[in-house]
Amino acid sequence: MNIFLRELKVYRKGLLFWCLGMVMLVASGMAKYASFKGNSQAVVELMSQFPKSVQAIFGLTGFDLTKASGYFGVLYVYIALMVTVHAVLLGAGIVSKEERDKTSEFLFAKPISRFRVLSEKILAGLFNILVLNLVTSLSSVYFIGYFASDESFMSDVIILMVGLLMLQLIFFFIGTAVAGFCKKPKLSGTIATSVLLLTFVMTFFINISENLNWLSYFTPFKYFDAKDLMDSGFNLIYLVISAILVIVSIFITYKFYYSRDLDV
Amino acid sequence: MNIIETKKLTKYYGKSLGISEIDLEIKEGEIFGFIGPNGAGKSTTIRTLLGLVYPTSGSATIFGKDIIEFGPEIKEDIGYLPSEVFYYDGMRVIDLLKYSGSFYKKDQAVILKKIKELAEYLDLDLKKKIDDLSYGNKKKVGIIQGLLHEPKLIILDEPTGGLDPLMQQRFFDLLREENKKGVTILFSSHILSEVQKLCDRVAIIKDGKIVKIDNIKDLAKDTHKRFKLEFKGEIDRKQVTELIGVSDLAFDDNNASFLLKGNINEAIKLIAGFELTNLLVEEPDLEEIFMHYYVADKK
Repeated sequence: MNIFLRELKVYRKGLLFWCLGMVMLVASGMAKYASFKGNSQAVVELMSQFPKSVQAIFGLTGFDLTKASGYFGVLYVYIALMVTVHAVLLGAGIVSKEERDKTSEFLFAKPISRFRVLSEKILAGLFNILVLNLVTSLSSVYFIGYFASDESFMSDVIILMVGLLMLQLIFFFIGTAVAGFCKKPKLSGTIATSVLLLTFVMTFFINISENLNWLSYFTPFKYFDAKDLMDSGFNLIYLVISAILVIVSIFITYKFYYSRDLDV
Repeated sequence: MNIIETKKLTKYYGKSLGISEIDLEIKEGEIFGFIGPNGAGKSTTIRTLLGLVYPTSGSATIFGKDIIEFGPEIKEDIGYLPSEVFYYDGMRVIDLLKYSGSFYKKDQAVILKKIKELAEYLDLDLKKKIDDLSYGNKKKVGIIQGLLHEPKLIILDEPTGGLDPLMQQRFFDLLREENKKGVTILFSSHILSEVQKLCDRVAIIKDGKIVKIDNIKDLAKDTHKRFKLEFKGEIDRKQVTELIGVSDLAFDDNNASFLLKGNINEAIKLIAGFELTNLLVEEPDLEEIFMHYYVADKK
């Protein structure tokens, strides 16, 4: 477990800052709700007069903004973007950094298999992801409760946070797969984030145009859309696709990292 | 018993050749030199042996076990010092060495004792941060990292870069000591004198191919010496030309320069008869030796 422990230590500080960032995002987002709550009726009316495309870009479509949970649903899009950026960079980085930092000649001259290296690194990455998810969940519960003590929101938050975890897992393993496949360690982070941003931007187009609904299958953000989750829970097909994505990504990670030359 | 054995070991990086059909047999307890210019394929051979890159064709065994199938198991008993030492930023020397030691099955207390011994011997401060170390001191970290688990095979890739002559001497003494205990050493270098000082046998590699494997003594016997003669007056060109084993002969004003192969006594006797103002007998540089083998190879 020495690589696992070592990676935890390496990512300790980064994780702390990510956690602080998430707490601040949730806190400041919900604080705005507090000021918004007073004259919510007027604002909601005003917003409903915006063109649909503008509403879509701000992620406002379909939420009841007078409720704290509805307001949180809007905020969720940005929370999801943040934690998936964390996940995808973590996945790509934790696998490729030995090559990037030229430490692979140190590490792989030791009596360990690439399988063990990958497995311990992935475990360490999953630990980071879980911690960030927990911190985000707890701060969400706390701040929603703080600003909206009069409604029940617990079940909504729980289902959203489970969805968030799924998103994190998908993008974490997309990150490791890119790094496992990519022979140029410096490129893997760029490629992985590009995939993330592309799929994220796709959701806006889908929100604007009904004709593009079929695109939903190509962006994990739609699998765990806040409104859908809060209205009707998890969609089985999307869950299956998510599982397949994760399994295929894990397979690619191991398969290619195992059989390719290391960049030294 | 052969500690390292390679059979037609070949590695292409895409289309560009790394090494081609390398056949090596390194016996238990010997110090084997691996010499060649930069980019000849020394590091590629070593990285293939360590499983960092996979061979395109051919095979190799270490301790009689296939390098790919038994990679992790084999490496339990290998110590490796890469040519360029890069370590995790922000770590202290002692933490890195402990981390390095933690990969081995050996008792960690024994490893820690060995780390301290080696650090004292090489005069390295274990409490410093790796980032703050000079190149030479980083190299020392590399040496300790390669020796702390008392490996049976030590693989060194250009190990002396950055070490001052005194440290180099201590390092060589250390290697000889390990060798006396039965440890096999593969020593890669582009500096001939280093290899001559330490090694029993040597393989010369050029453009990815082994040009020659020889005992270091035989190689020296075979090696050409470069003579540079400065005559007082006219050069007796005829007599110089008649020297046995002369090649690459060049005249320039009062100077004559040539490579001489084999026994130098005959040449010295003859040269004693010349009126000279200056005489230089030099080791030909490595490039010249390579040229020699390269030309011979082509014939």
